[in-house]
Amino acid sequence: MPGTTATPEIEVVIEDVGGGAPPPSPPGGGDDGGDDGDGGEGRGNWSPPPKRYSTAIAIGLVSILMFFMALASAFIVLRAGSDKWIVVHLPRILWVNTCVLLASSFTLELARRRLSLADPAGFRKLWLATTILGFLFVAGQLFAWRQLVAQGVYIASNQASSFFFIFTGAHAVHLLGGVAALLFVSLHKFEKTSISLPAAAEITSYYWHFMDGLWIFLLALLYLGK
Amino acid sequence: MVTYDSGANHPETPHAGFLTRYLFSTNHKAIGLQYLWLALFSVFLGVAMSLLMRIHLVWPGVHLPFLSGLANSPERFATLATLHGSLMVFLVLTAAPQAGFGNYFLPLQIGAREVAFPRLNLLSFWATVASLFGMTAAFLIVPQSGITLWIASVALFCAASLATALNFTVTTIDLRCKGMSLPRLPITVWAWFINAILGMLIFSILLAACLCLLADRFLGTQFFHTVNFLASQPANIAANVLPVLWQRLFWFFAQAEVYIAMLPCFGLTTHLISTFSRRPVWKERLVVLALCGVGVFGFCVWGEHMFSSGMDPFSPLVFSVLASSLGVPATILLLSWLGTLWNARIQLNTSMLFALGFVSLFLAGGISGIFLARHDLAAAAVSDEFVTGHFHLVMGVAATFAILGALFFWFPKMFGRRLNEPLGKLHFWLTFAGVYCVFMPMHWLGLVSHTNIYSSARLATISTMLGSVRTFITVATLLTVFAQGLFLVNFLGSLFRGEKVETCNPWRATTLEWSVSSPPPADDFGARDPVVYRGAYEFNVPGLAEDFVPQHVAPEEVTKSR
Repeated sequence: MPGTTATPEIEVVIEDVGGGAPPPSPPGGGDDGGDDGDGGEGRGNWSPPPKRYSTAIAIGLVSILMFFMALASAFIVLRAGSDKWIVVHLPRILWVNTCVLLASSFTLELARRRLSLADPAGFRKLWLATTILGFLFVAGQLFAWRQLVAQGVYIASNQASSFFFIFTGAHAVHLLGGVAALLFVSLHKFEKTSISLPAAAEITSYYWHFMDGLWIFLLALLYLGK
Repeated sequence: MVTYDSGANHPETPHAGFLTRYLFSTNHKAIGLQYLWLALFSVFLGVAMSLLMRIHLVWPGVHLPFLSGLANSPERFATLATLHGSLMVFLVLTAAPQAGFGNYFLPLQIGAREVAFPRLNLLSFWATVASLFGMTAAFLIVPQSGITLWIASVALFCAASLATALNFTVTTIDLRCKGMSLPRLPITVWAWFINAILGMLIFSILLAACLCLLADRFLGTQFFHTVNFLASQPANIAANVLPVLWQRLFWFFAQAEVYIAMLPCFGLTTHLISTFSRRPVWKERLVVLALCGVGVFGFCVWGEHMFSSGMDPFSPLVFSVLASSLGVPATILLLSWLGTLWNARIQLNTSMLFALGFVSLFLAGGISGIFLARHDLAAAAVSDEFVTGHFHLVMGVAATFAILGALFFWFPKMFGRRLNEPLGKLHFWLTFAGVYCVFMPMHWLGLVSHTNIYSSARLATISTMLGSVRTFITVATLLTVFAQGLFLVNFLGSLFRGEKVETCNPWRATTLEWSVSSPPPADDFGARDPVVYRGAYEFNVPGLAEDFVPQHVAPEEVTKSR
């Protein structure tokens, strides 16, 4: 259930990355009456500039950062004000997950390097590797949850465990949005859209690296906060 | 979205379905109008709630058909206040000036033909509609699950506002037409833009807060633990738990909303005052800085509230209300409005009257804010009539005046017809007198009920007087609400029978939306891309034939006076 309210937000993110892209506009199709797809009203050959996607992702990331900062500040305030704070021992698997996520950022950059070197096959292979690593990370997080539950630590056990599950849950939901973006980039046909494949890959990479850094921050908070 | 997709794959034809053309259109003008209709619906629903509350306060025994069965317990009465507040604050004050007028006119004023992400825009509109249904339904079901539904609806509203804010920010940054540099932006666009950035920051905090609340309710977490919370409160409040908890939650969210609701109204008022004084905005750059200041300030006060005090919303609220009314930016705005009006040939039409009414209410609210700064007084009166009066005067009524002013101003552009001026002026004066009669005695009531210097004999006379003042307020409320019937008649009548506007620019205004036909064509600017050559407020430039120069007129086209 922690994902309930995060879901609308992640939808926003997905829209930023891909879903908000205007559908293919017929290039010079005179008999189409200049339909660009957005609502179907003819507006000549006008289309919004592609750089709107990178602007949107930059602003969206600030917004997501504020979301997690609010949670983090609540954590700090409650941690400081509590006299009987029960410590949650972080499962070992978290460190493995962190390495997996860092590796995925690395493969993502390698993939983009391949793309700029005009090697689409290498790009697709490394991009797929990134996507798989992303899934692996989420699976690892779920495994960490199961380990805690096996130890008898539930979300409602105490405030520290609540924060652990809320932080990891909200981050995982946001990360799944990133995975969706990765899948979108690998499956979408970019010939007809206003945004090019390298641009889409670049925007996705911003989001992915941000999720990476955010995880490091949350992990540090949880580790130092105990 | 399915309907939309089917619309996207086929070119627009005159036979496009009603759903595609109106309900699921991604056109920014259609969505803006839908937000305004939604706000109009919510405002009358919210006004009905306040009437119900006033009638219950003064004549508790009166039997109201249908509704008296709903509000027959203290919990019901408390939920009534919450529903009134959330409808008015979220669906009217937040949605109408920002999402309503913003969606319609922000792209037009910057020379864009669409917002940056039209489908995201459509999605956030329908999410807003869903949150309206959720909030209203929360009132009708049992209180415990009602609270949950209400919180979920607020979370949905936050997500929708985030999407709208993202859209506005990106649109203003990336979609401005040729020549529309930042200093040439109309003040309205600045206000929407700054408000959108502020919204991006604080609605995510609200979303996080809602998430914690929902986790508390569904998953048994203890972020907002009732026992911890009540331990830090005075005994008299703790004794009366349930309504107070409702009230707390309401304030918890309303805090940030004050700035979100007021910012676009500042922009609208500045724009109207400049246009109808036929003078440039006095110290335009400083006004933009002041708007930025309101944004930064609003964010910091919220931050302080969230970070330092966690769950006690009361004392920071007082200081933030004080700050919002008396802060440096507010003073600068006020000075600029007066500076623009100084020695101007003012055109006193209904739109301008409402703008001036906004200034007056803002000033009155600011003065009563001084009293709230006294901590001892504020602590006593904070949940009482003084704050009710103050808050309604500054935020609710003033913002409504700005919205009405903007509606009278832009009605010809949106519908190609004018609103009736004599009827509009009558509506203005009745409303203006009415709100002062309602909210000024309310201030006094709040002060009197917390003063303990009176002897018992005087107390008796005072208490009989209090009763009659309460009745006076209720009667004034009734009259003010009935005066809104004039507006409804004017609005609906003018929609179909109003005087037709033949020209593009009936107000002789300068911004880009007045360069296109009324109502604007579907693609806003037709075949020709708009180009901007000058600032937004070139009124009364010496040596020219006309007293205004529109932004899109090239320097060589400007006619010189002989």
